[in-house]
Amino acid sequence: MHLNEQTNSRPWRIRPDGQAKVTGELRYLTDMTSPGKLIGRVLRSGVPHARLLSVDTSKAKELPGVVSVLTSKDVPGLNGFGIAEPNQPVFCEDLIRYEGDAIAAVAAETNEIAERALELIEFEYEELPVLDTPEKALSSDAPLLHAEGNILHETSYSKGDVQKAFNLCHAIVEETYETPRQMHAFMETEGGIFVPEKHGKLTVYSPTQHGYKDQMQLARILGIPADDIRVVSSPIGGSFGGKDELNVQPFGALLALSSGKPVKMHYSRKESVIAGLKRHPMKVRMKSGVNQKGKLIAHQVEIISDTGAYATLGGPVLNFATEHAIGCYIIPHIELKGKAVYTNNGISGEFRGFGGNQVIFALEGQMDRLAEKINVDPWELRSRNLRTLHDLGPLGQRVLPNDGPSQVWEAIQETPLYKKTEHPPSVDEPWIVTGKGMSLAMHGSGLGYGIPDPAGGQIRLNEQGKIEVAFGHEEFGQGLLGTLEIMLLDHFNCDVEDLEIIIGDTALVPPSGSSTASRTTNMVWRALQNMKRPFLDKLFFKVNELTGEPVEQLQTGKNGIWKEAKQGEGREFVLTFQELAASCTEPLKCSTEFDFPVTPDPVIGGHYLYGSTSVIAEVEVNMLTGMIRVTGIDHVVAAGEVVNPLGYLGQIEGGSIMALGFTIIEDALMENGNYVTKNFDTYLVPTIADVPEIQHVEAVEELPEGDVHGPRGVGEIGSVALAPAIVSAIKQATGKWVTKLPVNPETILNVWDEPFPMDKEERKKGRERV
Amino acid sequence: MSGTKTELSSVETRHPSFVFSLNGVETKIQTASSRRLVDLLRTDLDLPGTKIGCEIGRCGACMVLIDGKPSNSCLTMAYQCEGKDVETIEGMNGESLDPVQKLFLEEGALQCGYCTPGMVMSLKGLLKEKEKPTYEEMKESISGNICRCTGYGGINRVLRKLSEG
Repeated sequence: MHLNEQTNSRPWRIRPDGQAKVTGELRYLTDMTSPGKLIGRVLRSGVPHARLLSVDTSKAKELPGVVSVLTSKDVPGLNGFGIAEPNQPVFCEDLIRYEGDAIAAVAAETNEIAERALELIEFEYEELPVLDTPEKALSSDAPLLHAEGNILHETSYSKGDVQKAFNLCHAIVEETYETPRQMHAFMETEGGIFVPEKHGKLTVYSPTQHGYKDQMQLARILGIPADDIRVVSSPIGGSFGGKDELNVQPFGALLALSSGKPVKMHYSRKESVIAGLKRHPMKVRMKSGVNQKGKLIAHQVEIISDTGAYATLGGPVLNFATEHAIGCYIIPHIELKGKAVYTNNGISGEFRGFGGNQVIFALEGQMDRLAEKINVDPWELRSRNLRTLHDLGPLGQRVLPNDGPSQVWEAIQETPLYKKTEHPPSVDEPWIVTGKGMSLAMHGSGLGYGIPDPAGGQIRLNEQGKIEVAFGHEEFGQGLLGTLEIMLLDHFNCDVEDLEIIIGDTALVPPSGSSTASRTTNMVWRALQNMKRPFLDKLFFKVNELTGEPVEQLQTGKNGIWKEAKQGEGREFVLTFQELAASCTEPLKCSTEFDFPVTPDPVIGGHYLYGSTSVIAEVEVNMLTGMIRVTGIDHVVAAGEVVNPLGYLGQIEGGSIMALGFTIIEDALMENGNYVTKNFDTYLVPTIADVPEIQHVEAVEELPEGDVHGPRGVGEIGSVALAPAIVSAIKQATGKWVTKLPVNPETILNVWDEPFPMDKEERKKGRERV
Repeated sequence: MSGTKTELSSVETRHPSFVFSLNGVETKIQTASSRRLVDLLRTDLDLPGTKIGCEIGRCGACMVLIDGKPSNSCLTMAYQCEGKDVETIEGMNGESLDPVQKLFLEEGALQCGYCTPGMVMSLKGLLKEKEKPTYEEMKESISGNICRCTGYGGINRVLRKLSEG
């Protein structure tokens, strides 16, 4: 199904939160205020590695207008947080591990006073050698960043005998690929407001991708029961994984409880850059070999991931990378090793694609290089090695039958960009060369084997006579509210006015697991499937009790309950939802709890459900400047039924441009453990001038027979496979393979040792020399 | 929003006063000359429709119109507003949605929506200056507004429709 025009089986639908957004009326959590609020600020170490000797807050405390000053001594519970492993201190105790480490926090009457107070806090430290690369952190004489050592997590997987298999290979490609420290760059920086309530309770209004997880982590820090903390976590001005982990919350919560006043926090962009998560920079070495027939027979992978100062989800990200370094290809002999290494660089963590993007760039790069080496069409080479319907998963685990990779392999050949014939070089600008490239990937959804991945939801007919659903999920722009609305209208054939959707508030919603890992669409779909029949039964039974109308003839519809049409007669209105609600002493409601589907095999991090994508990119390279312009991108995505075409299209278009940034411009540069790109003047993200005007997006909706798992989420898949397609297009245009992202224009200019030849034949010869 | 008058004075009485029109309402504010317009709007006047994203004029989230021209309110100080006509997203909202905002909704030109008020203000600025701008002119007018969610797919559809319509 082509998604760009409104010719789909479902019409485009305006998102329910859209009007409040285009008018500026929507209050984001960082727009909220409260009478008598204080401003919370954090003092950061500014040094990447040091022993903290002393902290003196006395002068800050004396400053008029300062209400609260806190350090590690003031944390009543656990001085630590981290979704997978809480080893990031709220406030440093003795060791400073990155320049964003918090030393103290202040709540004051104004931002200016708070800022002055931070200047008055004195702390002494003794600098330690900066471990600013994983290599340095792994050396035998490196100081230890954590008691357990400098390795957060290791993975390994092997099957067959890779060394023997390499001896039998017809061609082998060995290459090391490097990926950037990409920043989420959500437009709304981290923040929120923290309001103390009666009896030591607290309400937190702060963006996160899992409200209940924040509640649990904050309870641990504050040393109070989780139930005493209400977390309002939505709406959010973008997250992409970057607000999944706690950020301002520990400081805001502690300051609010200690001062007894509402505390507002909102990071500046600079603070967000320094303190916030980034995508793991990875160095991926791959050695892959094929036989005479172009069948992959050996694949050796080594992944080194710079996880920065603390754990957060660095371990699970490496697990994901490990699985996706094999991806959708069938290879008999594999040896794979991964290390997530602590350094004094920022913190790497969860980010759209979750470790897939980095290794898919490497894996697809290998396929293209192998194809070139054995002189086979690169798309044909992929076809010879793709998984088929009933193959096991990448780590040998059982997966749901899945032929998505073949579907997208096929479908991309129908896209406009694929069919477009190469345009001849411009006479006016002969230094502009063009190329096209393609790539393919499979991407797991859900958290994977070994991590609890619960889901659930509630439905009821509320007091106002609305069908109300409640989910512990968040809206950060991805379009959950719109997708839910469409699903509910489908199920109940009612009016939008008959619906109420509640999300993102632990006081009102049940736990539903995280809004991450391309899982939310799939999980709310399942929850509604589970709840629909029992909920309707309750409604119709009650209506029968009230009106005597036979249950089997009842249906929901606009404004209320209807009796189905008989021969020759139209359907009959029975009663309104309001009337039904008013006559109930007990609310009519249902709930459901279940887990994300997982492989039955105990393979840590292994997935069970996958989406697949193929992508074609077209580039123009300016051989005088080395600058790259991506002039076309077409995506095919196989992820089951498209529930919300406009939302789906937006996720792929948006994910794709984030990947364009990853490939050609974005990198949060660090020097000796300090960020040097601290804002959007030096950290560049794509603007409208940097993107192709149209991206064609094609959805393959057919699932294998018997697949009852419904629509998969597509929040990540648009961002995972573009990089290798662009790099392949650059190769076609310039003759140069790129192995390090973002592509450095100078590496392309180096193709030509001599001045750029203006003659086409000369250029061709030049390319052949490379 | 007219006929009323807004007055706001801070505790610090030594601050000078500035008078300007804010969304058509005469507004008098006593504040530090260097206080940023974005703080006046978001903090002092509780008009958070104007967003804040980078504070160095690189993201466009805080875009407002000053005498009809798109301006980053993070780079504008209180004294620079004296006697000027300042319009924010809150001032764009009439009885019904204007065509630009309506197209943003229909074409999926927003997701998280945090950049949207700034985007709309940049476009409105151009449309005030030129009734029928070309697609390229519109594209240029929002090239200082970063959207991290949409990849500009929906926004490009809006511009295309506006330039054809």
